[in-house]
Amino acid sequence: VTRGFSKPSRDLSGKVAIVGVGETDYGKDYRAVRTRSADYVPPDAVSLADTAFNRAIADAGLRGQDIDGLSLCFMYERPDVNTVCDALGIQPQYVVADGTIMDDIVPPAVEALVSGKCNTIALVYAAASRAIGRVYGGNTYGQEGATPQSYYYYDPWGWTSQAAHWAFMFRYYQNIYGATEEDLASVALTLRRHASRNENAIMREPLTVEDYVNSRYIVRPLHLFDLCLVNDGGVCLILRRTDMARHLGHAPVEVAGWGHAKVSANKMHYMVRERLRPQFQEAGKQAFAMAGLRLSDVKHFQGYDASTIHLINQIEGYGFVEPGAGLEFCKSGQMDLDGALPVNTSGGMLSEAYMHGWNHVVEAVRQLRHEAGTRQVADLQTSMFSLATTESAHPLLLTRGTRGT
Amino acid sequence: VTWRERRPNRTLGGAHDQFWQFCENRELRLQRCSDCAAFAWPPGDRCEQCGGLDLEWRPVAGTGKLQSWATFEKKYFDILPVPWDTILVELDEGPLLVSNPSDLSRDDMVVNMPVRVEFLDCEDDNGEFRLPVFRKRND
Repeated sequence: VTRGFSKPSRDLSGKVAIVGVGETDYGKDYRAVRTRSADYVPPDAVSLADTAFNRAIADAGLRGQDIDGLSLCFMYERPDVNTVCDALGIQPQYVVADGTIMDDIVPPAVEALVSGKCNTIALVYAAASRAIGRVYGGNTYGQEGATPQSYYYYDPWGWTSQAAHWAFMFRYYQNIYGATEEDLASVALTLRRHASRNENAIMREPLTVEDYVNSRYIVRPLHLFDLCLVNDGGVCLILRRTDMARHLGHAPVEVAGWGHAKVSANKMHYMVRERLRPQFQEAGKQAFAMAGLRLSDVKHFQGYDASTIHLINQIEGYGFVEPGAGLEFCKSGQMDLDGALPVNTSGGMLSEAYMHGWNHVVEAVRQLRHEAGTRQVADLQTSMFSLATTESAHPLLLTRGTRGT
Repeated sequence: VTWRERRPNRTLGGAHDQFWQFCENRELRLQRCSDCAAFAWPPGDRCEQCGGLDLEWRPVAGTGKLQSWATFEKKYFDILPVPWDTILVELDEGPLLVSNPSDLSRDDMVVNMPVRVEFLDCEDDNGEFRLPVFRKRND
């Protein structure tokens, strides 16, 4: 485990549960920012956080005064902590203000709860990406040391953006396995079908292979629909110790295990040619050991779909299928709601919303509560969330807990 | 007068400057760790493999194989036209370099195609420089 990350520990497995979830109105807010009517006011991150927070505590059946821990993850802004606490109307005794789910946000919250630093913690995420005109490439990345080197070093060759990383990966994948763009389309189509069952999703219109093939390229061989949305939104997760969680309104969703692995050298090799498989394998091993579970226990997968191909990297990398078999797995319907492994059932970042993986956790919670309505995966007990950047893997195993006394 | 292509800015300072200095002489050199013999790219202050601090600039053959490629259709840099071709080359010594094709259409690219480095006269906000790019090798 990389220094600075919470070490997976058997002792921490199942000790903490997610008891409340809240999200902003992704679809409605997206349409508003696209339409920009005369009276439109772009949302700021604090107001997005506030909306998500209030919905999460209501969902948990708690009140603001019950929240004594706070972990903030603002992607592109750094509002003052006191300002945020005032906006949320809480006075937490334990505050972490510089978290990002990209690194490590749920595991430290679990540690804080188990060690008694607080009893009930709100993890709050907000990003006003579209409102601030965030662009994911070109001369927009930070200086050396602030962002991965691959995001700025190759500028003189005109190679930039997240999309370029995924494009190199998929072109290599095509060269090795003979996959076509139509094969890759199946990932976007599958997630769009899921999103059509989610009223809060941004993109719900049916997507056909023809739509996909006729859509513009962003970075060839990747089309528009291979790349995640950019939108404004907020998400809040409420966590407390499992022994305090059983009497609340919903089945508690226990944090069973996690892992972490990061490329330390030869990034281009691990990213393009290995597609991070060694990292997924290592991080997955940690998570399953912590949880006392096996890969075959996972019946629902919420992967980081910054790009269609990266979702396939995870399906293959963790070992759900062999390398090279991921697109056939998807095409044959195995990622559908009634397939062997339903994947990104709320639509993911490709069709629901780009909340840096936070919305994926919310969907896993709803599925494990058996409250996912028309997109419910039958009899679900174990779900796996995976955050995956261009150089790191962070799986999180969640299990359905029992309600009771 | 030499025609120079305008390019987005290089990352400069420390070891990066040395790399571009060698390129100025049409020489491709990469750092190699004196402890574990691993080549480093992009340039840095310590070996990514073993943490060694003794990195030595070594000439490389400039030959390699095409591994992947991507063409920008969306415009990310105002000064570069689209479509814009980029390639990933594995040097014979091991490192993977992001670069551009020279006199090579993407329709003719195949994986493991042999390529050889050449240097393109360029300039950015910090001045003139020579950029390593790759063309198909027929030998």
